[in-house]
Amino acid sequence: MPEKLKLTDEGTEYLKHGLPEMQLVGALRQGPLTLDQASSSVRNLDIALQWGKKKGWVRIEGGVIYLTRAPDAVPEQEALELISKGIPVDEEITQVLFQRKLVVPESAILDELKKLEGRTVSNLTPDLIRTGFWRKVKIRPYDVKAIGAKTYPAKLQPYNRFLSELRHKLVELGFVEMRGPTIETEFWNYDALYQPQGHPARDWLSTFYVKGSDVGDLPPIAEKVKMAHERGVSGSSGWGHRWDPARARRLIPRAHGTALSARTLAKGPLIPGKYFAMARCYRPDVVDALHFIEFIQVEGIVVDSTLTFRNLLGILEMFAKEVADAEELRFVPDYYPFTEPSVQMSARHPAMGWVEIGGAGIFREELTKPLGVDIPVIAWGLGMDRLAMFKLGVRDIRDLFSRDLEWMRGKEVL
Amino acid sequence: MAIAKCSVESVEGDLVKLEVKDTNRPDLWSAEGIAREIKLRTRKPGLPAYRTFKSKVKVIVDSSVKDVRPFTTCAIVTELQMNQAGLSQMIQLQEKVASSYGAGRREVAIGVYDLKRITPPIRYTTVDPDGIRFVPLDLEEELTPREILHRHPKGREFGHLLGGARRYPMFVDSSGEVMSIPPIINSNFSGKVTEDTRRVFIECSGFSQDRLSGALNVLSTALAERGGSIGQVEVRYPGRAIVTPDLRPRRARLSLSRFRQISDLNVSVKEAYRLLEKSGYKVTRRKNDRIEVMYPAHRQDIMHERDLMEDVLISYGYDLIKPERPRLPTVGELSDVERFSESVSSVMTGLGFQQVMSYVLTNEVNLFSKMNLSGQPVIELENPVSSSWTKFRNWLLPSVMEFLSHNTHADYPQRIFEVGDSILPDAKEETRAVDRRKLACAIAGADVGYQDISSALDALLYALGTRYELQAVSHPTFIQGRVADVIDQGKSIGVVGEIDPGVLEMWKLEVPASAFEIDLTYLMEGLA
Repeated sequence: MPEKLKLTDEGTEYLKHGLPEMQLVGALRQGPLTLDQASSSVRNLDIALQWGKKKGWVRIEGGVIYLTRAPDAVPEQEALELISKGIPVDEEITQVLFQRKLVVPESAILDELKKLEGRTVSNLTPDLIRTGFWRKVKIRPYDVKAIGAKTYPAKLQPYNRFLSELRHKLVELGFVEMRGPTIETEFWNYDALYQPQGHPARDWLSTFYVKGSDVGDLPPIAEKVKMAHERGVSGSSGWGHRWDPARARRLIPRAHGTALSARTLAKGPLIPGKYFAMARCYRPDVVDALHFIEFIQVEGIVVDSTLTFRNLLGILEMFAKEVADAEELRFVPDYYPFTEPSVQMSARHPAMGWVEIGGAGIFREELTKPLGVDIPVIAWGLGMDRLAMFKLGVRDIRDLFSRDLEWMRGKEVL
Repeated sequence: MAIAKCSVESVEGDLVKLEVKDTNRPDLWSAEGIAREIKLRTRKPGLPAYRTFKSKVKVIVDSSVKDVRPFTTCAIVTELQMNQAGLSQMIQLQEKVASSYGAGRREVAIGVYDLKRITPPIRYTTVDPDGIRFVPLDLEEELTPREILHRHPKGREFGHLLGGARRYPMFVDSSGEVMSIPPIINSNFSGKVTEDTRRVFIECSGFSQDRLSGALNVLSTALAERGGSIGQVEVRYPGRAIVTPDLRPRRARLSLSRFRQISDLNVSVKEAYRLLEKSGYKVTRRKNDRIEVMYPAHRQDIMHERDLMEDVLISYGYDLIKPERPRLPTVGELSDVERFSESVSSVMTGLGFQQVMSYVLTNEVNLFSKMNLSGQPVIELENPVSSSWTKFRNWLLPSVMEFLSHNTHADYPQRIFEVGDSILPDAKEETRAVDRRKLACAIAGADVGYQDISSALDALLYALGTRYELQAVSHPTFIQGRVADVIDQGKSIGVVGEIDPGVLEMWKLEVPASAFEIDLTYLMEGLA
């Protein structure tokens, strides 16, 4: 029975990359190479040249290597492959491989291992496992309290993880995510929401405007929105001011996510429908620890013919419990230009105490009718930044977009 | 406080700071208004009653005001019981109404005067900016109106509202005493009200008779809450005359069935009446489902029966209404771009890259100069609050470089990535811009090079099922000869390479860095 063979480390490397003289032949197929050039593409060039010359495959003239003859077959390479699969090879080629120290008999390995019998070893090796010899050695105990080198797992950005969990929670609650353009027309951001053109929120100090003379397009329903502003709809007196379409075309970065809700209603929402958006919004604000000009707003709508004021409270309560871990709730009257009635909710968070969590209202009919919706629409918004700041342990709202790599590396995930 | 839509911000002794949430209810912007609201909801339901009378004061409007500030409404209030608190409330109310309801004094400007120092009839006319001198409020020397615009703080603040008019509006009494130059400033003589003032003249000037009436009603009734009597004034325009303020209650209607449906409360007719009265309405009659009411003239916000419904609900008490979660069978869904971004982020963290997140708003220097590029057209703000945040990024790599530049003391190598939106101007789009989701990734460290970044790019694109090609290209941000275009189905979707040392220097980095940026929107559309 031929002796069982095993590849040495060098043999394993040649199995993977090819014998050095084979690599050299491969490199020379494109033409002769200088010694310098060859050394950057052929591992173990000295061995490659030694065997390449010996086998008559290559010659060197004046510092340049030339391909004399490309071989048809390389028996050593084939043998390495067979041996690695446990298939026996003939004696002659085995001797060549022994000579080049590319294989060793298993018994040689066992002979080496036998020297370790009864002794204590530092490492458990593949040879010990494969031969079963591990039963005959002891493994040195470590000081298990000593940890290896410091390493940082790559993770999601902490605020992004918070938002992502919130996003998934909303999807679990049956909400569909809305998306829309960052740059909006005043039409979708304000007019379609029945906010009058003279409202202070639309002036120079309260809204950002896009520089330049470009204006946006108005959709066909702009006519209906114009009527609602000027003369009201379904019994409303309207704002009574002349509605200027040129004003409505002006371009602004989105000031609130409610622009997306307007677009969704105009497109024809699912009924029943529950929608949400986590939109980047922009407002000129005094920059301080709690306010920045770019922020993320979480808001959305619920659409169905059966919706009532009690559902408005119910939706807010659902968010308080499911999203904000709140224990007690308080509803107070509030005001938004696009909803009537409106509610604001404060909740008692187990650690933060009473915080304003969000607000909601039923969209005014002057808003929904021109957009083609004839059933109640509840609009809701959640103020999540304070909760995020609390959960992440930051005091300044800009730290939600932290630039501190060390902080991120060290941040826990739960 | 909640029933008056207020929340308490702070209490210091006698002084309570409130935030009034309703930007549509100027009648609540003073202590008198809030007290009135609380009183009627807790003790005294129905329409408030004010003592009014027809005064003999007339205001004559000259036709010249038509081109500069056409309308006015006026009133007098007598038998005032003014004190320090009342005075400060009046000034506060005047300021808030003019600034918010009056859109920064443009639509509505308000003047309040000591009637003792005025000889009616009053004229509302125009004057040559250099043609008269008087002492404006809070100063001691006589100035012309033009000088006031340059030298008085209110002149500098509100002068633009006169828009370079040839003649300025003016209130003057029959003795020739200048009362004010609206919307700028009162005179010191008659335009000063103190704790001892017993009778005042109020005028509102602006561009909409309706809006001015609203403002006047709010002001005059607030003063009447302090015990004053409201005297109506005749305002004579050329060709017509009106009497202001018109404090007659207005009509509105409420459908009982629609109220019951929206509120899910089965209130009886009697209960509905009670709640309406508690909200300050007077029920006049009912025809089957329809209840007709009158509401007071100081309310400017009633447009639709929903406004009545909200009042009724507030009177009922939000805390007495039981919340109910709607039972709607809806299926939730992530947007395509977020779902795709999550997959990308998952692969990137799997490759050992820490995710970072930055603002979309940035500036020219970060976006281009520090990246060795000349400026490109991007969406820019007309009215930025700071020169640091003026332009919307159209690519992500500057944000990533900025992040690296803030972390030169953290251990290297640093492997970071960001998935985020960039905004590209696009004339074909409805809003002349389009959002594109991008991925930018960078590795910084002593031994970092092209092989590391290209290996990461390859692993990512392979995981996303994209068979791509690399093509050598020139790009000033990257080292010449070490940068490639990333091509997918014949289209360039990104760039990869070693960052040019000139760029590293500008970001104050002292280690080499390699980076790539990929347009994920392209990839998503390509894979669709």
